[in-house]
Amino acid sequence: MRVTTHRFKAVVKKEIADLSSRTFLSFLPPLFAALRQAAMASFPDPAGAHAYAADIRAEVVAHLPELLEEFERNATGHGAKVIWARDAQEANEFILNLAKEKNITLVTKGKSMVSEEIGINEVLLGNGIETYETDLGEFITQQLDRPPFHIVGPAVNISLQEICDLFMEKAGMTEPTMDPVKLGYAARLFLRDKFHRVEMGITGVNMAVAETGSLINVENEGNIRLSKSSPRIQVALMSIEKVVPTMKDALHLVRVLCRHCTGQAISAYVSIDTGPKRPGEIDGPEELYIVIVDNGRSTFYRDLRAREVLRCIRCGACMNNCPVYTTIGGYPYGWAYSGPMGQALNPLLLGLEQTQDLYRACTLCGSCKTVCPAGVDHPGLFLYYRTKDVEGDRAFGGMTRHWKETTAFRLFTYGTTHPWFWNLASKIIRPFYNNGARDGMVSELPGPFEAWFRSRNLPAMPKRTFHEEWKRIGKIPAEGPTHGSAPE
Amino acid sequence: MNKVSLFIPCTVDILLPEIGVHTLRLLRSLGVTPVYHEAQTCCGQPSLNAGHLELARKTARHMIAIFENDEAIVSPSGSCVHMIKHHYVELFEGDRTWRARAEALSPRIFELSQYIVDVLGIRDVGASFNGKVTYHESCHVLRGLGVSDQPKALLAGVTGAEFVLLANADRCCGFGGEFAIQYPDISEDLVKDKVKHFLASGADVLILCEPGCLLNINGYLSRNHPGKRAMHLAGFLSENIKGHTR
Repeated sequence: MRVTTHRFKAVVKKEIADLSSRTFLSFLPPLFAALRQAAMASFPDPAGAHAYAADIRAEVVAHLPELLEEFERNATGHGAKVIWARDAQEANEFILNLAKEKNITLVTKGKSMVSEEIGINEVLLGNGIETYETDLGEFITQQLDRPPFHIVGPAVNISLQEICDLFMEKAGMTEPTMDPVKLGYAARLFLRDKFHRVEMGITGVNMAVAETGSLINVENEGNIRLSKSSPRIQVALMSIEKVVPTMKDALHLVRVLCRHCTGQAISAYVSIDTGPKRPGEIDGPEELYIVIVDNGRSTFYRDLRAREVLRCIRCGACMNNCPVYTTIGGYPYGWAYSGPMGQALNPLLLGLEQTQDLYRACTLCGSCKTVCPAGVDHPGLFLYYRTKDVEGDRAFGGMTRHWKETTAFRLFTYGTTHPWFWNLASKIIRPFYNNGARDGMVSELPGPFEAWFRSRNLPAMPKRTFHEEWKRIGKIPAEGPTHGSAPE
Repeated sequence: MNKVSLFIPCTVDILLPEIGVHTLRLLRSLGVTPVYHEAQTCCGQPSLNAGHLELARKTARHMIAIFENDEAIVSPSGSCVHMIKHHYVELFEGDRTWRARAEALSPRIFELSQYIVDVLGIRDVGASFNGKVTYHESCHVLRGLGVSDQPKALLAGVTGAEFVLLANADRCCGFGGEFAIQYPDISEDLVKDKVKHFLASGADVLILCEPGCLLNINGYLSRNHPGKRAMHLAGFLSENIKGHTR
């Protein structure tokens, strides 16, 4: 998938003005957020369930190498083949070569974020292998060649008219309709035919259970189950952090994941598969390849703070509650992962230089961190990346800041540590700042603060700072309590 | 007598000193006589937020040295309290001495409403107001400090004031310090949304405990809806205490 993160600000402008994006944003994320709250309340101890999930993810991050090896042993023991891919290229090459070797001409895909991260669709399509996303939303975004708008509803912002036109053109629909059910049926007919002929299925993984070697997928459409069970060959793609220690842990995470994703106690389908089809079994793939993708993660795993991002279970609760995401939608982030999840993960995968806007476009409001069931401290990570960028840490792709910014902050710090300078500076600034003030309000200032004044004023600086007020009223002793009850 | 010390954030010192004055008057009316260390400046939050950690540490050391001998420090800003209470400790992760000093200071700093309700045990400060009020849950007050019941309890204690609900009260107003300047498109949209809900609430005044949000919301109101305003809790209470004059 093309990375367009560097165009963040331009896309923001466009999306804020886009009515269909705004309509969706005013509706679905708040709905998901409300459903999540209601669904979490169905746990006897919601806070405990939340904390247990976060603890599982903390354990995963702490013991990632051992858990992955345990998973490999158990999955291999059940007949799966485990492939380690250092980066996107290795993963893509393996899958492409496998497809060629097995004479595959048709691939169906279940929704998988890591498959978008590595761009497997482009590779397969570029080599003449028909490749279809089979999740309805992913199918639409694939055909439109757009990044996902939302992790749960990748095409939920696309209008019915646009979907109708698209299906007429690319999905064999013969009569135009604006009926969502008929549109869904058209996609179903089109994709069902692919499932009949499919030779290789590529699916993602929600959880890989170390203890048993099982793969767990959570979905609502049944397309992942078809992609797992119909073809002879199944490729399961997972990033390294998808592993969990035990089945008990995994099932708790499934409960928490569904509640945070869509507000469901459980999704319509949960499939748990261990190894390929065994003798005597009637369905399942004959061969199962599990491709474990690193793609830079083990590099930042060495950094004790950065590695915490690997707790993420991709539920999307963070974005539903993010003031920035719910204003701009998924496109400005410019890659597979959007919202706070993407803001935390993408800078580590893509480097700090081209992802500046991801770790800076945040008000540090903390909503994401509060709802995150995996215990990711998104704002803390953004502050960490900002620091790495200021330091110019090349391991992270940090760039250092413009000398003007650095000088301004040095001067500011001199002021904060030298009160005489601080107080003198506020006196000196006052007439310049207040120049042009009207009715106690300043409505424009040149320089870096210009952006503020496009739609907002600031109060004029009063005659006295609080420091100066204190000199007048501070030393007057109080006459005791005048109201309220006296403290002891 | 409490050995209480006032921490007045830089935005209040320079742009909104009346909030500092109201904080002082309010505390005095409750029998607390705070001291004010004149060497205080700013908590250093802008440096931390911009990633200039070494500079943030310099500022933090200055502030810790000023406040560390006080029994309690009270401030009319949730985010500055959050900075000193939580971020100072993290800033000195690798520095045993300063970390210990930051940790010792941490439990002794309070946001104003938190201090009045939780420490002084007062919910009725003796104010009365004839009208409707609502409350904006500033991010760092709510999620940074877990303070939400305290300001609402103080509002409930105001005779005659009718509390009305604010939709999406806990959603960010779009200030975010340098965020407002770096991403004005997003910031403007958020403050517009906050103001929309304030106007729809029917409240006469929007109360909050965070000078940053106050600058943002009032900055937008004064330009686009003159006549409507947000007020800091300290100002609202102090101005409406019977017989209280400035």
